[in-house]
Amino acid sequence: MSGESRRGIAGKAGKFRAVVRAGLKSNFGLSLLKHRLLKEKKDRWLVPVFALAALSVLPMFYGIVVFIRGAYHLLQPMGQERAVLTLGILVAEILILLFGIYYVISAFYFSRDLEFLIPLPLRPSEVMASKFVIIMINEYLTVAAVVLPVIVTYGISAGGGIAFWLNAVLVYLALPVIPLALVSIAVVAMMRFINVSRKKDLLILLGSILLIVLALGLQFALGRSAGPGGPEAGSQALARWMASPDSLLRQVGSKFPPSIWATKAVAGGFSKEGLANLALFLAVSLAFFVGIVFLAEKLFYGGLVGLGETTGRKRRLSGKEMASRVSSGRRPRTAIFLREWRLMNRTPIFLLNGTLVVVLFPAIFILMATVNTGGRGEGGDAMVLLRMMTSVNPLYTILATALFMTVCGSLNGTSSSAFSREGKQFWISKVIPVAPREQAAGKFLHSYLVAMLGVVTASIVGAVYLRLKAAHLLAAAGLALLAGVLLTAVGMIIDLARPLLDWTNPQKAIKQNLNVLLAMLADIGILTAIFFGVKGLLKAKLEADAVIGLLYAALAALAALAYLALLKFADRRYPEIES
Amino acid sequence: MIELYHVSKSYNRGKVRAVDDLTLVVNPGEIFGFLGPNGAGKTTTIKMIVGLLRPDAGRIAVEGFDIARESLKAKQLTSYVPDYPAVYERLSGLEYLNFIGDVYGVSKSDRLERMGKWLEIFELASVITNPIQSYSHGMKQKIVLIAALLPAPRVMVLDEPLVGLDPRASHQIKEMFRDHCDEGKTLFFSTHIMEVAEKLCDRIGIIHKGRLIACGTMGELKALVEREQSLESIFLELTEK
Repeated sequence: MSGESRRGIAGKAGKFRAVVRAGLKSNFGLSLLKHRLLKEKKDRWLVPVFALAALSVLPMFYGIVVFIRGAYHLLQPMGQERAVLTLGILVAEILILLFGIYYVISAFYFSRDLEFLIPLPLRPSEVMASKFVIIMINEYLTVAAVVLPVIVTYGISAGGGIAFWLNAVLVYLALPVIPLALVSIAVVAMMRFINVSRKKDLLILLGSILLIVLALGLQFALGRSAGPGGPEAGSQALARWMASPDSLLRQVGSKFPPSIWATKAVAGGFSKEGLANLALFLAVSLAFFVGIVFLAEKLFYGGLVGLGETTGRKRRLSGKEMASRVSSGRRPRTAIFLREWRLMNRTPIFLLNGTLVVVLFPAIFILMATVNTGGRGEGGDAMVLLRMMTSVNPLYTILATALFMTVCGSLNGTSSSAFSREGKQFWISKVIPVAPREQAAGKFLHSYLVAMLGVVTASIVGAVYLRLKAAHLLAAAGLALLAGVLLTAVGMIIDLARPLLDWTNPQKAIKQNLNVLLAMLADIGILTAIFFGVKGLLKAKLEADAVIGLLYAALAALAALAYLALLKFADRRYPEIES
Repeated sequence: MIELYHVSKSYNRGKVRAVDDLTLVVNPGEIFGFLGPNGAGKTTTIKMIVGLLRPDAGRIAVEGFDIARESLKAKQLTSYVPDYPAVYERLSGLEYLNFIGDVYGVSKSDRLERMGKWLEIFELASVITNPIQSYSHGMKQKIVLIAALLPAPRVMVLDEPLVGLDPRASHQIKEMFRDHCDEGKTLFFSTHIMEVAEKLCDRIGIIHKGRLIACGTMGELKALVEREQSLESIFLELTEK
């Protein structure tokens, strides 16, 4: 090889690394985080909070590990223990596929950095491959919670040697390639040949709903394939299901051979079978990657052209039309509310994570609870169990329903991104002559309306599927509405304390916003404290009416306090936020 | 009227001094041009006047209202146009103007009259119901300008308002500047276009490394360099030091 061509290859690799590095930094906000943690020393308090959050999920992980170990030891005497690995890998690949649709569409076609990348002296394949690598890294993190416990538990149970662990690492690294390549081929072809550029918002919305439907469908299919086992659960049922010759797992596994190759590669170690399957798995992954690079060169930019453009028809309003559409002086609070409502519902990512979640959550609940019905009118076993539980004691019915309504209405990102969602437009809120407390009140109205929508949909579920009495529903709805004020105000206070205003991709403001996570942790903390409070009241042998009455009074007081604190905090905080 | 007394602002925990002991008074009826090299402190000063940034030291007042203690009264009389038109892209132009009219308390008749006038002048009447997302950069700049004009403010503060505008719109803006100040109102704007500043401004301030190094009418600035020169030459000479 001549020196010149060697330099050319090295230069190309250097360019590619630079693009990937820049993409990773902007994707995960690494530079900003480093700056805030080390230079400005602003977010240092987050470190212990995260450590605490990580510790709090440890028991759950322990549970999963115990479960997997149980399944392994049950299957081992039958020689079927590898099914545990196949299940883990298969679930991971399905997750990669599902999340991939979303990641690929947004990274390949709707990320803002494309505007800077396309004019650079890079080939289309280099741009797309760099995006592909960034999505792969996202996917490693997405599926780590599923794959790592399975592989590690299997490895420890089977006493895997260096060959096991080495193969496992290689398989894990290559795991996202095939499913992501499949998604990429579908998406790139669709974007190239169908003119979807003008329907960008609709595309994101439909893609995301499709994702949810597919996930629910998968849940439904897995539930059905578990058979009419009733409420029986745990390692035994799982083991029997995995070992049965006609199980869904094997059917899907046989239709998606890479999961079988990956299983054999990991479990086989350095044996002939292990190495052959590892080579096969890696070679096919590489072939898919090369295929994607080839496809990118041919089709990628074709689908991109004109994507950033949105057009509108020109139409002049008549004097009469103008007079009817120019508002006649709304109160500032109403104007702020209306702005929030419109911006939230017209931005697909915000709509999905806010307004739609409160409608979808109860729907998901119904689907999960009826998963075993197989079309029987009476509802699934889980539903029967729920009905039995709720008919035992009216007090428990009211409390459990109130909790369900609160979770449906308030555990979403609406309030905890109320300020972050303004992003670079926050300057407008800073310069308008509207008192911060008035602006916060307008935003509160919007977030609370979303919470109320959740309470209403949850009430419908309670009335139709759980057949709760009207009086119980009303009592629960009252509690949930008060809790909604409290949690909405808390969420908004958390977001106002450290609003994330510097974003170009709306996902950052709501889906990747730490405030949403922090607010959820705070909400769970508050609900847990209330739970223990009620438990204390019950222990003190108080009458049901007294317990409900005290809970109403406590929630009303907390709600009022939280709301007033929000208004006061807004007055103090707005002038401090520099934009 | 805009008053700044001994105003300072630094970034990065005091390491970067963006504005250093700035004292400046812009009188009613005056077009004041604010010049300076990139990073001199123009935008920081403007953002402090409209309340986007808090000064570390000093006092700022708009029409006599201290912007820290009587901020709402000051904001009610001020309109601001940023250097980049970051507006609610998902709203239509009309919805955005309605929002601004609502929060500034502009009556319906005033809105209809002013919107009608400015939408015609800036040639946006036929796209006013379209989402702002579909506007070009220049059109976004125009909708921000119309929003700033809607409350008929006593004080206008504009950060490089001519960037991205077509020659016709640019001409209209300059006419509007003059009309605004002829009514005894105040206008403060930053620019890099020396000819505009030279022809349009009643007084000019030059900021360099956070300090106001020159301030006065064109005649006063010429006297400062003791030669008959263009504003561009004066600017280059003063900011070279």
